[in-house]
This record gives sequence, C-alpha cells and structure tokens, in this order.
Amino acid sequence: MIVAERKTIPELVEILRPHKKILVLGCGTCVTVCLSGGEREVSIISSALRIASRVQDLNFEIDELTIERQCDNIFIEQAAEPIRKADAVLSTACGAGVQAIAERFPEKPVYAGLNTTFLGILEERGVWTEKCAACGACILHKYGGICPITRCAKRMLNGPCGGSREDRCEVRADRPCAWQLIYKRLKDINQLERLKEMEPAKNWNPSLSGGPRMLIREDHRV
Amino acid sequence: MKPDSKLAVTMGGKEFIFTAEYLPVAGTEVTIDPKLFGSNVIAVNVADNHHGVSMSSLAASLALSRGGIEPVFQIITRDRNRIALQSDLLGAAYLGMKNVLCLSGFHQTLIGCSESANVFDIDSVQLIDIVKKMNNGQLLDGTKIQGNFAMLIGAAANPNLKPLELNILRLSKKIAAGADFIQTQPVFDVDDFKVWLEAVRNAGLTDKTAILAGVMPLKGAAQAKGLADTYTDYIIPEAIINRLDTAGGIEAQEKEGVKITAEIINKLRDLPGLKGVHILSGGNESTVSELSGLSQ
Repeated sequence: MIVAERKTIPELVEILRPHKKILVLGCGTCVTVCLSGGEREVSIISSALRIASRVQDLNFEIDELTIERQCDNIFIEQAAEPIRKADAVLSTACGAGVQAIAERFPEKPVYAGLNTTFLGILEERGVWTEKCAACGACILHKYGGICPITRCAKRMLNGPCGGSREDRCEVRADRPCAWQLIYKRLKDINQLERLKEMEPAKNWNPSLSGGPRMLIREDHRV
Repeated sequence: MKPDSKLAVTMGGKEFIFTAEYLPVAGTEVTIDPKLFGSNVIAVNVADNHHGVSMSSLAASLALSRGGIEPVFQIITRDRNRIALQSDLLGAAYLGMKNVLCLSGFHQTLIGCSESANVFDIDSVQLIDIVKKMNNGQLLDGTKIQGNFAMLIGAAANPNLKPLELNILRLSKKIAAGADFIQTQPVFDVDDFKVWLEAVRNAGLTDKTAILAGVMPLKGAAQAKGLADTYTDYIIPEAIINRLDTAGGIEAQEKEGVKITAEIINKLRDLPGLKGVHILSGGNESTVSELSGLSQ
C-alpha cells in the first residue's frame, strides 16, 4: 500500500492561514490503513486546527469529510458539494489523491495534508517499511523476492557494497543490508547460482527517469 | 586496447607493488609535493569526493600526472550516471590517464551531504563492465569510440565483508567483469586477512587479478574511533586503538600509527597470492615514503 505520514499541525496552520472555510478531506483507502489520513485522522487534524485557530485568532471554519478513494472519479463526485462550499481543501490522501482533487476543481486551492512516503507494508504495530520503488520493470524474480532497487541504499544489482555487514546496512544501523537478505534467501531456496550472473546496467526508462508514466490498456478502453 | 601504464607493466612482473592515495581537498589547488610519495610507489589513487565535496578526481589526477606521479583515477557511481561516467572516462583517456578504480562510493549520508540526491544509475560491477567494453573500443550502447582508449581496471574488495561465501561471490563477479587489480579496505588484523586471502586463492582469483592489500597509517586513537563509528567497512581491533591511545600525545600517536602499519606491511609481504600493498594515506601522505621504504 501507499504509506504516508501527516504534516505537523504548525505546518498545516501555515499552509491554511490565508483561508477561512476549510474542508479537511480524508481518504478511505491506503492512508486509512496506515493511520495517516482516514476518517479518524481527519477528525484529529480538524480538532487540532480548530484549537490552533482559537489560540491564534484565525477564524478557521473546519468541515470534515472522508470519501472511499480520492483517486477515483466516482468517489470524488460525492465530495463535490462540500468542496464547492469551502474556500480551500486540505486533502489527507496520498499525492495522487491530492492531485486528482486539484485537477477536478481547478478554481479551488487544494493542499496536501500528508507527506506521501513510500510503497510498503505494515511490519509490526506502528512500523511500516518500504518494499517497492515502482521502477516499472520488476526484477524480484532474480533476487529471491527481495528488491535491491528499493532496499539497498545504493541500488546495487550485483552484490553488496563494501560497507555491508551481516547485521546492518552501511547507511543506517537499524536497517538490514538488503544483500545479506538476498544472499540468505537465495541460499535457502537453492538459487545462489543467480548471484554469479552479471546483471547488466538497468534500463530506467520505465521508471520515473523516463518522465511521468502512463498506462494504457487498449483492451479496457471503450 | 591493452593498457600500458606503469602500474600495468609492474603488475606483469614479480615486484612487490606499493600504491598510495591522495584525497583532493575542497579547494582549487593541488599543493601536494610529489616527492612525499617516494620512489617505491608505482601509482597514486586520486579519490572521488571521498569525504565530501572536493576537487574532481579527474582534475586532481591530471595535477599529479603533471607532477610526475602516475595517477589511478578513482570514479564512483554515486554522483554520475552512465552518460557522465563514460564522458569523464573518455576525457580521462584524452588527458593521459591509464588506470581507473571503479567504485560505488560511500553513501552521501556518510560524507556530510545527506540532503543530496544520489545517482546510482549503475553499480561498480557494471562500471567495470563498461570500462572493459570501452577498452574494446565501444561505449555501453555499442557506439564506436574514436581514438585510443586503454585503462587498467581496478576495483575494491572488503576482506571484512561476511559471510565469506558472499564476499568471494562478489569479488569473483568483479574479476569476471574485468577487474585487473583489486585494492582492499584497510587491513588491521593480518590473521583475519589471511583467511580471506586463502579463500580468494582457493577460488583461483589470485591468478586472474592482482590483489593489493590496503593498509592505513592511523593518526591516532581518536581518528581510529571516528572511522570505526562512521564507516561499517573499517574494522579496527581494540588492541590497535589501545596501542595508539597509550602511545602518548598527538605526535607520538601518529608515529605509533606508522609503526603499526609498518608491522602490518611486513607481515603481509610474503603472503602467497598478494601482489602488493595499497597505502591508504589520504591526508597523511607524508608517511608513504617511509612506509614504502621501510619494508624493502
């Protein structure tokens, strides 16, 4: 899922300062699951903004709404009326959701309430980790299901860097070295031979390096 | 084309080789006295933004070359994509460089540039592969190189990298990709290094490449602790740190560091399969001539 975290309340107050009627718009999908932008968080952010407004004499009028998905027209439609009534929208969706709302309401200021951080999973309660960089050309089958693009700080494709340790990455003591994990996993599944093959320079064209991406499925177009 | 650098020629002989290191500074001048390196040093590595932004390794390599020192042009994949890397390699050949060391480089967060984006378009093995292709007259995409291009290809290995099987797999790949020589991270524990070198020998790799063991004259206990705390690839035994610590003041500790390094070099000299020593003298160049002479 897409993992995001909330901007700080002082940051949000600064962003919203010029406006009066503000709609805090939540999203019911990924950011609800990662506890950053769903109905509950919308309520918390709204309360905090109301308090800040009172303390700083800002006269915010905060309205709250959470829709199922901000990246989908069908659900965005449900928010049309409250969005029209507001001076500005604080979207607590991922960056895709924020832009979807902004594109559909060209006359309305739409702000991001979250920092969209990565594609990842819930590792344990309160801990999320990044697993996929959406590079556009998946190579997981070669690395025992562990992504060196995402999980190696140097995106090494042919083995660990000199700073690798069995218990940690060169960069951060609390992160494992992806290559130690790849080695162990390939050994466990009897595929260590894969590490002997030279992986050529990656084609980054399907990634963001090739410019904004677009997917067209002719078989689904009417 | 076959590289004909002094380093390449020496590697073909029986001589025990000394290479050393120069770290360019954040400035516009290369003030190093070439005589510091002494006559036993065959070539001097020029680091590529090793501890933060500094003069480009290409420009500093040229400066050394003009001073009569054969440079090993270090090039890392952290800051340049394949376009810039190949372009700089072509420029290096034009400027007379004949040796290149292919590295990924420390992550930028470790060198005080944590707000910078990194590149890592390719990794160090892929860089070795590209230089080998260029030695055969072609760029990565097959474009024919106009003029002569011939570089002796170097790579790095960390003897401390565990498990040993993964370490050897990785080294084998670098050598298969085309590494003519390997310079290692600094050796502080010769017994540990022997275990690694034996595994390298058993894998048949010492016949295919020249291994130069890294040694580092530490300036004192504080530097040793700092390096060990910042970089995961420096494994400095407590005994060495204690020896430096108890040696006395700054000058005494520095002398002790040189003494320790000289002892390590003497233990390394006769190890089967070892072609020489790479003195990681960056910032401490004045020790090189003593170290490369001491052990003759």
